[in-house]
Amino acid sequence: MNRLTRKLSEIKSNNKKALVGYLVAGDPDIETTVELMKLFSSSGVDIIEIGVPFTDPIAEGPIIQKAHDRALKKDTSLISIFEMIEKYREFDDETPLVLMGYLNTFIYHKKLIENNENNAVDSILVVDIPGELNLGDYGVKSNNINTISLISPTTKKDRVKLIAENSTGFVYYVTLRGVTGSSNLNIDEIKKNIKEIKRHASVPTLAGFGIKSIEDAKLLADCSDGVIIGSSLVQMIEQGSEKKEFDRIGKYISEIKKAIS
Amino acid sequence: MESNNNLPDKNGFFGEYGGKFVPETLMYALDELENTYNKLKDSNEFKKQFYKDLSEFVGRPSPLYFAERLTKHYGTGSIWLKREDLNHTGAHKINNTIGQILLAKYMGKKRIIAETGAGQHGVATATVAARLGLECHIYMGAEDVQRQSLNVYRIKLLGAKVHSVDSGSATLKDALNEALRDWVTNVDDTYYIIGSVTGPHPYPMIVRDFNSVVGEELIDQSKELFNTMPDAIVACVGGGSNAMGAFYPFININQTRLIGVEAAGNGLQTGEHAAPLNDGSPGVLHGALSYLMQDEAGQVKATKSVSAGLDYPGVGPEHSWLKDSGRAEYVAVDDDEALEAFHQVSELEGIIPALETAHAFAYLETLMKEFDDKSNIIVNVSGRGDKDINTVAEIDGIKI
Repeated sequence: MNRLTRKLSEIKSNNKKALVGYLVAGDPDIETTVELMKLFSSSGVDIIEIGVPFTDPIAEGPIIQKAHDRALKKDTSLISIFEMIEKYREFDDETPLVLMGYLNTFIYHKKLIENNENNAVDSILVVDIPGELNLGDYGVKSNNINTISLISPTTKKDRVKLIAENSTGFVYYVTLRGVTGSSNLNIDEIKKNIKEIKRHASVPTLAGFGIKSIEDAKLLADCSDGVIIGSSLVQMIEQGSEKKEFDRIGKYISEIKKAIS
Repeated sequence: MESNNNLPDKNGFFGEYGGKFVPETLMYALDELENTYNKLKDSNEFKKQFYKDLSEFVGRPSPLYFAERLTKHYGTGSIWLKREDLNHTGAHKINNTIGQILLAKYMGKKRIIAETGAGQHGVATATVAARLGLECHIYMGAEDVQRQSLNVYRIKLLGAKVHSVDSGSATLKDALNEALRDWVTNVDDTYYIIGSVTGPHPYPMIVRDFNSVVGEELIDQSKELFNTMPDAIVACVGGGSNAMGAFYPFININQTRLIGVEAAGNGLQTGEHAAPLNDGSPGVLHGALSYLMQDEAGQVKATKSVSAGLDYPGVGPEHSWLKDSGRAEYVAVDDDEALEAFHQVSELEGIIPALETAHAFAYLETLMKEFDDKSNIIVNVSGRGDKDINTVAEIDGIKI
């Protein structure tokens, strides 16, 4: 059982909700990303989602796009990300790590993923492939890496079943029609759709994409198995980068954690 | 809209290229579009409306015109020009938008979005949207807004809104990113008119089919004007819609060489160009697997071309398939060669071609040496050059 599966079942048996924190590797630089990951886990993040920067991140809103650009300017690649994760694992061998990115970079570094030394990475989420497919369908064999699939408000019922059954990590429910960091949550629709997903999925269903505040997080946690916080954290990272002051982030994470517990 | 091969397959692949590489939110919209298209494409009513609009609004068929002085210049064969520059709005782009706006109307979409590089597709989209009274948003890279200011103003005159895109390299690829983001956000009421044979399935197929009217006319016109099929068709390739439209009906006509000309920018050997078929490798961008300009980390490389419409790191998946299968040939000419051809064709033929089209003309310099007197060579004049006057004047050191 890998870290992600173990962690999610532990959270479930304690009747808690999972908190997933997202950042972009290499923003503002790879060394700081390691420090931020430590801060994430010590402040209450259960699962860390690491954005793999790409030149053309079509599912991202402006905040995360800019983070991708900053990371690319620092020559962040999947190679340096795997090295970074190795370094992080020396401090923390418990927190599940999920890579989130776009197909082209993953295909390009097929070998790296297939090796996945010491099983350091627990799961991969590929944003730009249909939900029912995973890296294996594109020739990347990764037995020790879980698949996280996206289901969106526009996913038709027959596909919900197909996708839910394909997910081996968790189902990522995209809470809105839009890019990351948008804000038009329709809680009734979200509740209904997550209920439908949970009928088919053997793994937990987490919600993400439009969570802007602690109140949003609380509302969504109530109808799911956990929430994913991305843009608001990336924005705080951007604001704190110059002076390397990230205390605010730790506080924000603890508050969300408290609100969803 | 006849089918000449069975591609793409049901998953949208041309051999190994193509497919649907999009965020899950768009899957239903692509399925909806595919179902609508498959239902409509062979219906008599739809075809009748499409060809009526092409005839009465666009002014088709466009002539196949003998280029007497250009022919004399090369001293061999006969050079014929397919005059897509004479279409309403000045380029082949209108063929596709006429077809797609009919799909949008049938699907009841109220809002139209499109990306544009040179601005021709933006103009063509704004035109058909105006005609149907639909709200229209055009995404354009900030750099292209600058160098294609004439088309930007045309789009505004037609009542559409131009969104200048600053992200990434601020050119066509970034405009496409932004249009996709708009579509993800407004997918319920919005129709995305992609302007080239690129993007996720079913777009490469749909855009090809609507543009194939060019190749269909060429078959009839060739018979009529020189009593046989042409020896070669030459067309520029950015995303590849004008080339695909001209090539497709000829795929099974083996006596006709199909030659696509990419933009070599500062030169293929410099790496600063927009020629993925000549100097790229397969990768995934904007929903499709195709030849792509990418670096050793799988990141998409910045492109360089004097021509905004060719300044794109990817290419339509069917071209990748035609390249690998050997049915079509893909070459590249650089900025200097294209600019020289731009002047040459203007002076010899009284036709100012678009800078994109000038790339196809420039290749005649090499190609005509391979043909004898009896040969018939067709150049697809994909668009007219009015939009490029400022760019060329600036390069020539002239202030207008």
